[in-house]
Amino acid sequence: MTPLALPLDGSSTDILAVANSPILWICGLGVFAVIIIQSVIYIRAARKAAPAAGMTEAELKTSFRSGAIAAIGPSLAVVLVAVALLALFGTPAVLVRIGLIGSAAYETGAANISATTMGAALGADTYTQQVFAVAFFAMSLGGAMWMLATLIFTPILKRGGHKLAKVNPAIMTVVPAAALLAAFISLGTAELPKSAAHVVTLLSAAAVMGLCVFLSKKLAKNWLREWGLGFAILAGLAVAYFAHGAGLGPVA
Amino acid sequence: MSTSLITEASTASLDEFDRTTSRWGRLTMIAGLIISLAGPMYLVVFGNLDVATSQLWTAFAAVAGTFFVIWLVEPLTYFPILGPAAMYQAFMIGNISNKLLPSALVAQTNIGAKPGTKRGDLAAVMAICGAAAVHLTSLLVFVGLLGTWLISVIPEDLIAVARLYVLPAVMGAVIVQAIVSMKQLRPTLIAFGVVLVVQFVLLPLVPGLTMMSTALSVIGTIFIAWFARKRTSAVVA
Repeated sequence: MTPLALPLDGSSTDILAVANSPILWICGLGVFAVIIIQSVIYIRAARKAAPAAGMTEAELKTSFRSGAIAAIGPSLAVVLVAVALLALFGTPAVLVRIGLIGSAAYETGAANISATTMGAALGADTYTQQVFAVAFFAMSLGGAMWMLATLIFTPILKRGGHKLAKVNPAIMTVVPAAALLAAFISLGTAELPKSAAHVVTLLSAAAVMGLCVFLSKKLAKNWLREWGLGFAILAGLAVAYFAHGAGLGPVA
Repeated sequence: MSTSLITEASTASLDEFDRTTSRWGRLTMIAGLIISLAGPMYLVVFGNLDVATSQLWTAFAAVAGTFFVIWLVEPLTYFPILGPAAMYQAFMIGNISNKLLPSALVAQTNIGAKPGTKRGDLAAVMAICGAAAVHLTSLLVFVGLLGTWLISVIPEDLIAVARLYVLPAVMGAVIVQAIVSMKQLRPTLIAFGVVLVVQFVLLPLVPGLTMMSTALSVIGTIFIAWFARKRTSAVVA
């Protein structure tokens, strides 16, 4: 056995034993390092170019600080959602996939779609280390596609390819809306036949999210909408705990 | 004459900003892409988990069938607001619409810069750097350290419940979020209709399609929503 190989057994359901392995931590922190390096290079480049763009050193600082302050609320809202997903994916995968590149919705969606192709369900008895590895691979490759599209399109758009986006405005509104809605409605609906507890979990999370959106409009409090996802997931899990305890969970 | 000299000098230094950010922006993004794939590759290759290549491609195909439209559309949508330099930051840091765009807009407002101008682009880049600093720190501290600790002290039965039910909880909330932020009644109703038909009519008839059910619903909804769209522009007779 090579020193790199993990002493694992694909059929074990001890996900965190694989998901929190040191090499995954190193790769996860590597992505953090890349972003830090990128930021340093960008700040230095912006400093150099600022006078030519008619921008003072003070304005650069103000921009940095405004961006930082505006990000506090949304960042903590992401943290809440990420912590709720730790049990499912382990810390390194959550940090990179949910915290950074992707988002909770896409990544849990992608992971679940992958698990389904193996006849398994996330979090259930069928969610083995092997299923986790395949799901992690597929969600990471999916995330890589966003970056690939960015790498390909940005130079084209820069050269004035704005026409690309203007071919037909309906393509840019109807098609993505249809894709997004169908994806999440399908993923949600597939949860319903699993058990009565799944049904009440989904409905209560949806209700709390709806309430947050409604109140944020009514009271003009934007932060309520930002935090809605986190609040809704926690409320859903709380309801799930009691429903599961009351014997509404899947029949083992 | 002195003005033209200044203009030349400033054009040169703005060009340099473009060159630096597009070269290093791309290199760092490629590095991020490779490192983010290295983790799962390591598990698959060295993990002793008996993963077959065909399983990987099947899983990826099902994910691609569902999300390929979003992969293509998002970069096109955000480019005009972010500008070329910030594109390479945004798609690596993530949470663009709920975190990075508001940060960039607040910064531009605070220094009175318009989006799309050079001042606006620089303000957006600096704001995203500021947002990244806050975001990386809070992720490392609250998820990396505190979160990992929290998971280790929470009783096992609570963790099991969270693991079993976090997916319906996320999806319930995300469906509502998607409906509200898209604000498009027709595609929403069509999506519900298509999903119900696929889930409760098609799958019981052809159980082999289960693994592709989400991709089927997505593609079906796109087609129907496209042909049933509200045509606002004048229809050619």
